[in-house]
Amino acid sequence: MSEVTAGRNYSAFDAELTHQALNMRLFMRLLRWARPYRITLGTSAALVVVWAMVSVLMPIIQGPVVVDTILAPNESAESRFNFGLIAATEWLSQLFSMPPLGGAVMLFVGLTLAQLLIMVGHQLTLSSGALKTLRDLRLDLFASLEHKPASFYDHVAVGRVMTRVTNDVENLFRLLREFVALAGQFVPFFFAMVMMLVYSAELTGIVLLIIPAAAVATYIFRIAMREIFRLVRDSMSALNQYLQEDLMGIEVVQLSGREEMNAQEYRVLNQENRNQEYRAINYEVVFETFNTSLTSIAIAVIIWYGGGQVVQEEMTLGALLMFNMYINMMITPVSTFGHFFNTLFRAMASGERIFQAIDWDERLREPEHPARLPERLEGRVEFRNARFAYAASDPVLRDVSFSISPGEKLAVVGPTGAGKSTIIRLLARFYDFDDGMIFVDGIDVNHIASGDLRKRVGVVLQDFHIFSGTVLENISLNDPGISRERAQWAARAVNADGFIRDLADGYETELAERGHNLSQGQQQLLAFARVLASDPEILVLDEATSSIDTGTELIIQDALHKLTHGRTCIIIAHRLQTIRECDRILVLDQGMMKELGTHEELIAKRGIYFTLHELQFQDSVGAAELALRKRREDERPRWVDMSDEDDEDDDDVLGRRGMRTARRT
Amino acid sequence: MHGGGGGRWGGSVVGAPQRDRASFQHLGHLKRLMPYVRRYAVVLAWGVVGLLIARLALYLIPWAQKLAIESLEDPVAEPYLVIPAILILGVVASQFAIYIPARRALRRISIAAAYDLRKRFFNLVQYQGPNFFNRFGTGDLMSRAVNDISMVRMVVSFGAVNIVMFVFSLAAALGFMLAMSPALTAWVVAPLPFVAAIGFMMARGMFPFFRERQEALATLTAFTQENLNGIRTIQAMAQEEQEIERFRKASTRYAQKFYRAERYQVIVNVAMTLLTMISPVVILLYGGLLVLDGSMSIGAFTAFFGYLVLITAQVYSIGFSLSMFTSAAAATQRIFEILDYPREVVDVAEVELSGEIKGRLEFRNFSYRHPGAARPTIDGINLRVDAGETVAMLGRIGSGKSTILKAAVRLIDTPRGSVFLDGKDVCQVPIRRLREAVTMVPQDPFLFSAALKENLTYDQPDRGDDEILEAVHAAGLSETVERLVDGLDTVVGERGTTLSGGEKQRSTLARGLIRRADVLLLDDCFSSVDTETEELILGGLQRMRAGKTTLLISHRVSTARHANRIYVIDNGRVLESGTHEELLAQGGYYADLEAVQSSQDRDRARRGQLLRQLDGARAETMPLAATGSDD
Repeated sequence: MSEVTAGRNYSAFDAELTHQALNMRLFMRLLRWARPYRITLGTSAALVVVWAMVSVLMPIIQGPVVVDTILAPNESAESRFNFGLIAATEWLSQLFSMPPLGGAVMLFVGLTLAQLLIMVGHQLTLSSGALKTLRDLRLDLFASLEHKPASFYDHVAVGRVMTRVTNDVENLFRLLREFVALAGQFVPFFFAMVMMLVYSAELTGIVLLIIPAAAVATYIFRIAMREIFRLVRDSMSALNQYLQEDLMGIEVVQLSGREEMNAQEYRVLNQENRNQEYRAINYEVVFETFNTSLTSIAIAVIIWYGGGQVVQEEMTLGALLMFNMYINMMITPVSTFGHFFNTLFRAMASGERIFQAIDWDERLREPEHPARLPERLEGRVEFRNARFAYAASDPVLRDVSFSISPGEKLAVVGPTGAGKSTIIRLLARFYDFDDGMIFVDGIDVNHIASGDLRKRVGVVLQDFHIFSGTVLENISLNDPGISRERAQWAARAVNADGFIRDLADGYETELAERGHNLSQGQQQLLAFARVLASDPEILVLDEATSSIDTGTELIIQDALHKLTHGRTCIIIAHRLQTIRECDRILVLDQGMMKELGTHEELIAKRGIYFTLHELQFQDSVGAAELALRKRREDERPRWVDMSDEDDEDDDDVLGRRGMRTARRT
Repeated sequence: MHGGGGGRWGGSVVGAPQRDRASFQHLGHLKRLMPYVRRYAVVLAWGVVGLLIARLALYLIPWAQKLAIESLEDPVAEPYLVIPAILILGVVASQFAIYIPARRALRRISIAAAYDLRKRFFNLVQYQGPNFFNRFGTGDLMSRAVNDISMVRMVVSFGAVNIVMFVFSLAAALGFMLAMSPALTAWVVAPLPFVAAIGFMMARGMFPFFRERQEALATLTAFTQENLNGIRTIQAMAQEEQEIERFRKASTRYAQKFYRAERYQVIVNVAMTLLTMISPVVILLYGGLLVLDGSMSIGAFTAFFGYLVLITAQVYSIGFSLSMFTSAAAATQRIFEILDYPREVVDVAEVELSGEIKGRLEFRNFSYRHPGAARPTIDGINLRVDAGETVAMLGRIGSGKSTILKAAVRLIDTPRGSVFLDGKDVCQVPIRRLREAVTMVPQDPFLFSAALKENLTYDQPDRGDDEILEAVHAAGLSETVERLVDGLDTVVGERGTTLSGGEKQRSTLARGLIRRADVLLLDDCFSSVDTETEELILGGLQRMRAGKTTLLISHRVSTARHANRIYVIDNGRVLESGTHEELLAQGGYYADLEAVQSSQDRDRARRGQLLRQLDGARAETMPLAATGSDD
């Protein structure tokens, strides 16, 4: 018994993670991906600090330098700390023998240009470093997903995994960028505060009183708005989802005469959204006004109190102007800080989701010293007392033993839930199971690397997965080992060449995902070509059940014959003519082997196979119903053999259980 | 996929058609929005006036600063500080009193306009026919309903007002500045038009970079999604490393495109900053000289900086506002392309369909050509289903079978005088009534993301449990319902429990059966159901449909054989018709099909012969050459 997946809590994976606290470990972990780009990112961080320092200098030039020393000379001005800007101005004007105003303007222009260049350098290095970091993270995430075993995808919705690769990584990029942007605002905040303290401690104290008030108010606004924005988003997505479903099911809508009722339902959703939007703007507009007003209030304070200080000659006029300009540097970071926290929390949750996926240690057990396979396998397959159960459920295979000699074809038949598909899943090593159960050419498959094994065991699934790309790419699956010639040879061999050549661009025709531009039968033939191109020694095939028209049916039967020729085959057969093509027939029921033999032997035995054979070809409904009723009275398991459905454990060879995909947008 | 930014639908909808860059020639389309805004004309006017007043008040702040500083400059004058400070606080109060209600009113108008547009969009789209939906896919329509409407909302809310505000602000600021120093004003304002022009050009120049970035992201997303959906195939073929390498390329390409877009934005910023930097330098130099001259006060000198900040912000954004206008105009055009689309299937009520309906369905010399198709899909079909009969249609993919069914319920624009129900032309009957009398179960088993029960009673949600259970039983769905955790209340569809193809088919069948229509049309409703279950369902069908008319399409002889009559359709014509036995005796298509689908030994020889015939003829005419789904 294998219990690999037992005890795993997949709901944890599916759960919506929302993070509310800072998690430094997460942050440190993210830095690991930034390591290769530490020089770029470090440069970027250094540049933003330099930029901040330069931007603090500008108001000093406009205020203390220009006003206090040139326009309205004030002897107390030079005694104040000014980063030597007054001296620099004098030096420049002497150098170019200009009046002091010229020197000040040159200094101003020079610093502005320098600031601009530093900003360019900072932004480019930041983007480059952050984008590369996240590219690498995304790649590692994808690689880890690519190696997760079938048992993982049995339980986890593809859509959930998808968003980790796309949205969550984008969120981290936003975090990195906003983090640095915030640094670019907070560094001047502190520099400006120091300068203000130097010029007037008292006025600074009073101005600083506004900051906590602003911070608290901002915080409260954020809290209130977060909830409202969530409601707006939810109502919007409900509205759009409704529209989308209505469009996708428009035929049903019209046939059911639901147009008016749906318009009514849509209107309710539309109104709900409108009302939420109304609520949101009420808050938004107030918040917007509040933010712009803070600066104005601070200016009023500076004029009133700072003006008083100027009158008492405790402060210069230039310093008053400087305060005026610094005030924006003080208030902007406070009002954007709340926004940063929103991003931060969202990014924390994203980071957690990403790392959860990377850390998820569900892997197929691979042999430590994989057996070396010969160039060509003979193709002998043996099941020895095979038993298997999926995680935490009843056994699907109870005791199955059989062996197939090279080149032999075995048909597997049995009711839904008999364990037919499990045989294929195990042979291709999609799940972990105990040693000593399944052998290929006498080698235990658990001793073969799964990649090696799968190259030798070709699997044809009931529904052929078409990837968007050309016909040729769909046959070769971009495997460089499969040349164009080989792919075309394979297509010819399975009768697919004819229809491919009739497509608009032959082998270069682009196919849409899920192959809406191909018929069922054509998809089958492509599936055959795909597996034939890789030329496996052993072939396992789950025959498609859907009915197709006459010509196609014949062509497929013929292709199947060619495909299986000279290969060891296990075929889950749904059509009697396919069964008749096989050498032997294995009848499974409830995970047990019930009958094994040739068609003639089993018919002669008058057992399960015989009943199936008779049942399917009764001539009238009446007889069929009679037989069915009789069977139900016998309380025999439901004999559904042409089915691609019903039982969760048996619906497709590789287990689509719980697989939900966000297929359409 | 879920877009980034503003939640699920914030980003662009993947799969939406590519868009061209908007240009000025689209601007005319904006007047189509007038009816949606006009009803709020009074509010709009008050809102704009309010904003203008609030803006004017804001321009008093630098003036108040100027007054205060001038009093400080002059050692003789009394310090004049309190009144300017109170004036500024008064401005703040005015913002709360005037700006907030005005802005709110304007933004409410934009929300209301979006609401009205959506409502109309939904109502019109719901009544459209197949040509419309062929032309505009779901992704396209969603993109118009989501992205384009929100674009229009933006322009109503910000764009238009921004332009009014821009003109006004500029004029007001100029007034204040001219009052202080006409000469300096001229120098300061000179570079601003260039800023606006560059801003506009840059905003438009951004478009290709942004589009490439979005496309690279869409490619990456689509690749990931496909890969994960097909992960079993990839693992089965041992192609993981291959795929990781392809992912590396796609994500590197995305990072590059992203970087390019960022770089462009940095360049835009540099250009804009360089241009806007000219003005403060002019104030500093020329203004400084004027102060030294004694012809301007330091107060005015600082006020110039204050006004400059106010108008630069406006000039900065005007370029973006203008480019937003062109985008919104293009969006408007796309929205009205849908809203103006004429209705294909016109509902008239010339003849009432009253009293008891017998259910005789008749196609008289019915022909139909899909718009744009070279050949007619249906070419003079005569087909009759008498009241209470069950009739089956068989034929190749693309032979026109589905079109015949759709014509009966007017899912296509059925030509007049060709389809009759109880002798009445279906084109003259009210559509609603027609579709009640004639129920069709379409080929594609679509289920809504709702409880199974809601899906089954989609036409009439207040049906009783007995009715539901009967239909469930007849459709062979009972075991599925038992298996589902919440039974009939289990949510199915895209966002619910996944049902297998056969279960979906049987659910849609139950949805059709529950209506007990006088005429039931089944479009290949058993293709994913195994033959045994099919027999059961056919039994159920016979019980529920006793005495009522049924017309069905099938690929299986085992389904068709029970019908009163069978029609074989080929190339839009009736190829063979008759009972099962008659058709077998004819030895045509139907007999061939029977031979292929059975596996009796006596048919083996015949199959081999058929295959040889097919091999020879396949390239020209045989079914595999025909691509595409049925009809």
